[in-house]
Amino acid sequence: MTRRLQLVVTPSGEAARAALQAVDLNCVFKTGGGAVDVLHDVNFEAKEGELVCLLGPSGCGKSTLLKIIAGFLAPSSGRVLVQGRAIVKPGADRGVVFQEDALFPWLTAAENIAFGLKGRLPGKALAAEVTRYLELVGLSPFRDYLPRQLSGGMKQRVAMARVLILKPQLLLMDEPFGALDAQTREEMQTLLLSLWAELGHTILFVTHDINEAVFLADRILVMEKGPGRIRREMRVALPRPRRKEGEAFHRWYRQIRSELMSEDQF
Amino acid sequence: MPRFDRLLPWVLPFMLMLAWVLADAAQLVPAYLLPGPAKVLEAGGHYVFGKAGSAPYAGRFFSDLQASLLRVGGGFGLAVLLGLPMGLMTGRLPLFQKLASGLINALRAVPGICWLPLGMVWFGIGLHTTVFLVGLASFFPIYLNSAGGARQIDPILYQSGAMMGIGRFRGVFAILLPAAMPSIVTGLRLGLGIAWAYLVLGELTGVPDGLGAIIMDARMLGRIDMIIVGIVIIAAMGRLSDVLLKAGMKFCFKSARRLS
Repeated sequence: MTRRLQLVVTPSGEAARAALQAVDLNCVFKTGGGAVDVLHDVNFEAKEGELVCLLGPSGCGKSTLLKIIAGFLAPSSGRVLVQGRAIVKPGADRGVVFQEDALFPWLTAAENIAFGLKGRLPGKALAAEVTRYLELVGLSPFRDYLPRQLSGGMKQRVAMARVLILKPQLLLMDEPFGALDAQTREEMQTLLLSLWAELGHTILFVTHDINEAVFLADRILVMEKGPGRIRREMRVALPRPRRKEGEAFHRWYRQIRSELMSEDQF
Repeated sequence: MPRFDRLLPWVLPFMLMLAWVLADAAQLVPAYLLPGPAKVLEAGGHYVFGKAGSAPYAGRFFSDLQASLLRVGGGFGLAVLLGLPMGLMTGRLPLFQKLASGLINALRAVPGICWLPLGMVWFGIGLHTTVFLVGLASFFPIYLNSAGGARQIDPILYQSGAMMGIGRFRGVFAILLPAAMPSIVTGLRLGLGIAWAYLVLGELTGVPDGLGAIIMDARMLGRIDMIIVGIVIIAAMGRLSDVLLKAGMKFCFKSARRLS
């Protein structure tokens, strides 16, 4: 109701619309023994089409932050703005890819992907869309497979396709490749980058894997725990496509690692 | 090996039959306690295929079956209509659970047969009492299993629905029902099984027709063969209705087909 389009001046000087803004977010969990400060004064923004990684050790509140942005959890104070509009509940403008298997086990790959659009598109158009997105994630031969017949990596491909098909403004990914083996994880990272290049979403990607963050991110928000807050923000100035073997990649890796580790005094 | 597998369920019934035939041939048990298979088979034949009026019980099968099916169907239908939504609400809405589950669990502790006298006072002898008993008894397994099924749904499925823009109402049909389907089917099958048990109980009270009624009637007349015929028919009907229920659910619902 206030400003729907908000102009933000980024450090480099160009003006861009903020796809996502977190403003003074605090989150306190009440437990039996008292209150735990999970998130403390978190502020950040992501501009349109940017791939931002939230990197931090477990327990730093990065998943909680993502749940708040998704609308699954209300913050104790503060606001989340998507395209300048405050969010109040989950919605199809923010697609979420979860770490664990969250597909509907009674639906095939194609039906899972069609789920959110069902009844909103005429049957033929819907089928064509589903076919297109199955192709995009490389699962065309598996359209009639049930989730239990798919491997972990394939399930995450379906999980990505079922939100991408809704054309969300924001893609929220909560350690989506964390449970996959190393080789599959790399395949999925490459797939994500190619989808991102093609579709141009704004992506907020939660991970504890430094390598993953350096490979994917335009910008890394390094988080610390106790209470969870953003310790540093780093723009990854590596040209794309990035190669994990190169010396430049390793320099970035080491730098962010030391940034992350310097916190480990407890 | 697969061949042998398929024969396995028939081994025990076959041995039971064999023992019965042998016991009859050796005249180990007096016929007034257990008549031989031939006599029972003949009584069954008359009961099912005989011309009405040609002998006691002759040709009564279809009218008895119809009467009993109406009672089982009515009671079971009522139990589904109440038990399923109440169970799902109990599993999904903590407030409803607090409201309802105490009373329902207290009532559940009451053996079904205790309701028989009350049912007879309220509804007299006949259809209504039987439907009341059948409905009451099959309500509990349907209610409990639906509640359990709804409670055990991983919240991440609702979150998935919410972030894809599925509201609460659509979520009931698109997520809650299919996700709880295996438990719902289990509840319905248990409920239907119990419905047949309570049908006989309800018909023992002196209704003139029904599969349970002929068993009681046959006891009065000392027709042990007809008692056995009644038992076998009820067993067959119970099993058949279970198979049909399972197949019907699988035919109607993807989730029943794919989750099991």
